[in-house]
Amino acid sequence: MILLDTREYDHPIPLEMAVDAFKALSDDEVIHMVHRREPLPLFEIIAKNGGRYLCIEKEGTWHIYITRSSQVDLEEYRV
Amino acid sequence: MYNGLSLDQAPPISVVLRFFLSVPFFGMLLSLLMILYPAQVLIPSHPYSLAAVHLMVLGILTTSMIGALFQMQSVLGGRPIPSAQGNALIIHTLLAVGTLALAGAFFAEITALYVVASVLLGASILHAANLVLPLLFGGVSHDTLRGMRLALIALSFTAVLGIVMATSYASGAFSPSHGAIRASHYSLGLIGWIGALIIAVAFQVIEMFYVAPPYSPWCKRNAFRLIAAALTLKIVWLFSPLPYGWVFDGVLAALLLGFAVTTLQRLRGRKRRVSDVSIWFWSAGTALLAIAIAAHTATLAGAADVLEAVALIAFLLFALSVILGMMGKIVPFLVWFHLSSAGYLDAPIMSNIIPQKRAKLLFALFLLTAAALLAGVFIPTLFAAGGVFAGAMFGVLLYNLAYALKLYRHTLAHGTRFTQE
Repeated sequence: MILLDTREYDHPIPLEMAVDAFKALSDDEVIHMVHRREPLPLFEIIAKNGGRYLCIEKEGTWHIYITRSSQVDLEEYRV
Repeated sequence: MYNGLSLDQAPPISVVLRFFLSVPFFGMLLSLLMILYPAQVLIPSHPYSLAAVHLMVLGILTTSMIGALFQMQSVLGGRPIPSAQGNALIIHTLLAVGTLALAGAFFAEITALYVVASVLLGASILHAANLVLPLLFGGVSHDTLRGMRLALIALSFTAVLGIVMATSYASGAFSPSHGAIRASHYSLGLIGWIGALIIAVAFQVIEMFYVAPPYSPWCKRNAFRLIAAALTLKIVWLFSPLPYGWVFDGVLAALLLGFAVTTLQRLRGRKRRVSDVSIWFWSAGTALLAIAIAAHTATLAGAADVLEAVALIAFLLFALSVILGMMGKIVPFLVWFHLSSAGYLDAPIMSNIIPQKRAKLLFALFLLTAAALLAGVFIPTLFAAGGVFAGAMFGVLLYNLAYALKLYRHTLAHGTRFTQE
């Protein structure tokens, strides 16, 4: 699991950080991004480039799990 | 609630860049006018002054703002403008040619051009409002959308009153209400259209872009109601022989000052105090807004009329400052976003699309322009110097936008794309 806590970075640094991490993902690796907003542009980029994501909001903080693998079950992160 | 941009709803990059790219050309035309005829531009109601004001308000500010609206509507409203490419082409072409016709009508005093400008600008603005306004009702609703509604309604009335005035200029017949129409036209245009839209944008981006403390919910909820009420009452007073009409100017001044102060406070309260040129533009903009309010309030209290010119120039520079700052954020983001979505691995990072060095140069030229133009109200030679700085500033803006477009096209042609497993 690659942890990316981007809550205190100005826009658009969190998006660049997440996309850079997504580009470098291999096999069944998963990124766990923690962000202060729901990053819809990121979802578009992931979905259009063969990735999958799960987005969960907990007490005003957004947790986004991203993978390029079709085997990884992202639902297991929904706690 | 709005949280970001969705590519499925976002218009193609060309829709927004079409508007942004024409801004520096209008800027250079305006600069030329200020360099060649500084004394005439400074005389209120002089045809050259009216040409300069409309090049600024329509060619630079409204063109940028309508371009941004195409992006904002899909982002904030969640309901994109239909046939964005075709409608952007129509609105942009009518707006650009109409603005040139109006400036030409004032400059060369050709009456037929007033009619041409009325038809083209009226068609462009009313078509834009007719296209976007229905999308702002009935769907999601939040403070920024309320501000956009007010701004577009005010823009529509500004256009209608502008057409009435252009008819007067074309025929040479001015009604007894001409003064009230003129004051309503610029009040709605400056405060209702430009002011309200900038406040609406600030409510979104100051918190989202800069990790700043949010504006108070009460302010966000009531700001546009108060502006709309004060503007409406001001216009009613303008057309009726009632006393104390200046009270509504005072209310609007207080509201705008409150916005300037709270925005500066938000920017000072950022969690990470990283250097960002767009923050400098926002800060300079709020300072210019405060100067505009102070100068206008002084004229209400009986100070010399020359301060009214200071108020107008400072207000227009406030809007320009915010627009330049936002363009510096929006353009790199759109280039990066559209390339990344299309799967280009080597999409340039945003800070390389408009490098910090050139962003700082643009800001330095903006400050020189603002200082020279404001001092130029009292010393016309400095006003002409302000025109030279403005010309250089718009030259740098054109280079920044063209360079971003070149990077985008280069990556599309030569970039490496993701390979799917």
